[in-house]
Amino acid sequence: MIPTAVTSDPPGVPRLAGRGTPLRERFFRLGLRASLAVGVLFLAGLLTYVVVEGWPRLDAKLWTNFPDIIDPSRAGARSAITGTVWVISLTALYCLPTGVLTAVYLEEYADRDRWWNRAIEINIQNLAAVPSIVYGILGLGVISRGLGFGQTVLTASLTLSLLVLPIVIISSREAIRAVPQSIRQASLSLGATRWQTIRRQVLPAAVPGMATGSILALSRAIGEAAPLLLLGGLTFITFNPTGVHSQFTVLPIQIFNWISQSRAEFTALASAAIVVLLVILLLMNSLAIWLRNHFTHRW
Amino acid sequence: MNPPSRHGPGGTPPPLPAHLAAPPPSETVFEVGGLSVFYGGHEAVRDVNMNIGARQITAMIGPSGCGKSTVLRCFNRMNDLLPDARVVGKVRYHNEDLYSREVDPIEVRRRIGMVFQKPNPFPKSVYDNIAYGPRVGGFRGNLDDLVEETLTHAALWDEVKDKLRTSALALSGGQQQRLCIARTIAVEPEVILMDEPCSSLDPIATAKIEDLMERLAQQFTIVVVTHNMQQAARVSERTAFFGSEIDRDGVRHGRLIELDETGTLFSNPSDHRTEDYISGRFG
Repeated sequence: MIPTAVTSDPPGVPRLAGRGTPLRERFFRLGLRASLAVGVLFLAGLLTYVVVEGWPRLDAKLWTNFPDIIDPSRAGARSAITGTVWVISLTALYCLPTGVLTAVYLEEYADRDRWWNRAIEINIQNLAAVPSIVYGILGLGVISRGLGFGQTVLTASLTLSLLVLPIVIISSREAIRAVPQSIRQASLSLGATRWQTIRRQVLPAAVPGMATGSILALSRAIGEAAPLLLLGGLTFITFNPTGVHSQFTVLPIQIFNWISQSRAEFTALASAAIVVLLVILLLMNSLAIWLRNHFTHRW
Repeated sequence: MNPPSRHGPGGTPPPLPAHLAAPPPSETVFEVGGLSVFYGGHEAVRDVNMNIGARQITAMIGPSGCGKSTVLRCFNRMNDLLPDARVVGKVRYHNEDLYSREVDPIEVRRRIGMVFQKPNPFPKSVYDNIAYGPRVGGFRGNLDDLVEETLTHAALWDEVKDKLRTSALALSGGQQQRLCIARTIAVEPEVILMDEPCSSLDPIATAKIEDLMERLAQQFTIVVVTHNMQQAARVSERTAFFGSEIDRDGVRHGRLIELDETGTLFSNPSDHRTEDYISGRFG
């Protein structure tokens, strides 16, 4: 007979009954939820505030009218909205190909044992952490004055391209690195060249990841005011850009301009413009998340 | 300027000799002499000498870390992809030095295909997986026919003919591996290297791959690395046994211990280490 010690348990109590969740663990979970709540509540508070403030001016005039320094009721953000579209489109045009090609070089071609490649890598990591105002100084000194492009759409988009280029490079590299080595080996073992392997296997598989990172980088660029303010305080522009050499304003600068006005009507306009900017940002970020969830390969 | 060709538009004529003129069955495909491979400062395998015959299956067996896969990867210059790998010695393919300066590794890999340990189909359709090799090689003929022929040849057509446009990743593991084999023969290589092709498959899928290997051996030269001794005994004509040795300086390195007809190697090995390994006694 096997001696059984557990038979002494009182009947009715299940033998597998535990001691419940320890107190420490409960506190830990509470702490986790509290930290989550801080972020969400702040965002919700901010959104509520700007929507309530800007509600009277979230109308068609915001889209159709140009800024008006005399009569806030007729003022709109049309030049800022079109300016933002111009600047961000050109920023994407400059920084995406450059960033993706740099990432391809660093991941697929660069010999990591060479000191110059390591130096480039460290530099890119550092550039991603440089404050945006520094890029503004660079844009002002080199692009605006040095190259003589002036206070134009071109200068702004080149400056913002430099600002987000490190982010595009880093996220593209991660997307390229996520493509398993076995895919490259399979392609090469079938007699494909290195370029064919990159072009036909690595890049297509990395596109969703690169797109996600690039959109997040561009949504950072779209909200930047500091470097553009430094380019020359282009705060009162009552026309749409007509080309890359046109003067311009963008939403963050227009918001900055309205906030600094004393009249309450302008503050409402600023809130309305903030809502527009936030909606654009949320849409872009949702697109990024959607791309990531629906097109990223699971290996 | 490019005539219709299976091997595509390459500026220079292929540096390897024409081998398609019905060679005798006893022909040697690879001659390996004094081959050592280093990874950084570590010598993975030392002084390998072996010949590999045409249109038969040569198995390479032995414990892990004795250099079987390393030697296999020398046959189609896959070691080139590892930046710190260094190959010393001669690997001759139809009497041409695979590591000579004029040889283009791309051209080598079109003649000498490879199947890997884990099935690694491209994240594309079944059709595009088969068509990839011919496409990158500049194939100009009818791809649909080629895909059907290849899949039939690989005994996979009946299973996938209704799934040509679905993702290859939706196939079972065994089907994926047979697709990888089919993908390899679609570029009409002469040699197929297989690096533990069944190690992630169940016995039924393994049996199907072994059947396929035996049928392909009528046309292709196959070199297979395996950890499964029964597999080597079942499918191969010749077997190479690799082991590891420690030299006078205390450096452990892989060696080719014995290479013989499979029957002889398993029933009457000439080296006691081979006997110990195949009978399950190590060391």
